[in-house]
Amino acid sequence: MSSATESTTKASEQFLSNIIGKSVSVKLHSGMLFQGTLESIDGFMNIALNNATEHYETAENGLLHRYDGDVFVRGTQVLYISEA
Amino acid sequence: MSSETPLDLLKLNLDERVYVKLRGARELTGTLQAFDSHCNIVLSDATETIYELVDGELKSRTKDSEMIFVRGDTVTLVTTPAE
Repeated sequence: MSSATESTTKASEQFLSNIIGKSVSVKLHSGMLFQGTLESIDGFMNIALNNATEHYETAENGLLHRYDGDVFVRGTQVLYISEA
Repeated sequence: MSSETPLDLLKLNLDERVYVKLRGARELTGTLQAFDSHCNIVLSDATETIYELVDGELKSRTKDSEMIFVRGDTVTLVTTPAE
């Protein structure tokens, strides 16, 4: 592995472990945006959220759904995850 | 990284009622019998909700299945049903 890829891997792993327990935004290919507390994430970008809310594209676009239980989001559908 | 992966957390829902969102605004609720890492899912006593536009009006109807195998690639979300 080149040192550039190595440092990218390190940075992304560090980012993913640092945001556990934080409030995050997750956008899917479909344009749906989920915001909630990040319970866990794996290398496939499978994501578990707590107290998640669902919006279309941006949080300003109004609440579509509120999930009381844990929400599992399938990694292949994920476009990005960021700290909210 | 947390030792409990998202798929580990899904195991807690085995034998419980779950709400599964699929691609194309399709949704299912049922009792989670089994799943794998591809998100292939087996539900029992499942209800599919089908949304359709009838004369510009959004209508929904349901279809029940005793046992249903869902191919993982269309799954977007799994959670506990509202109520």
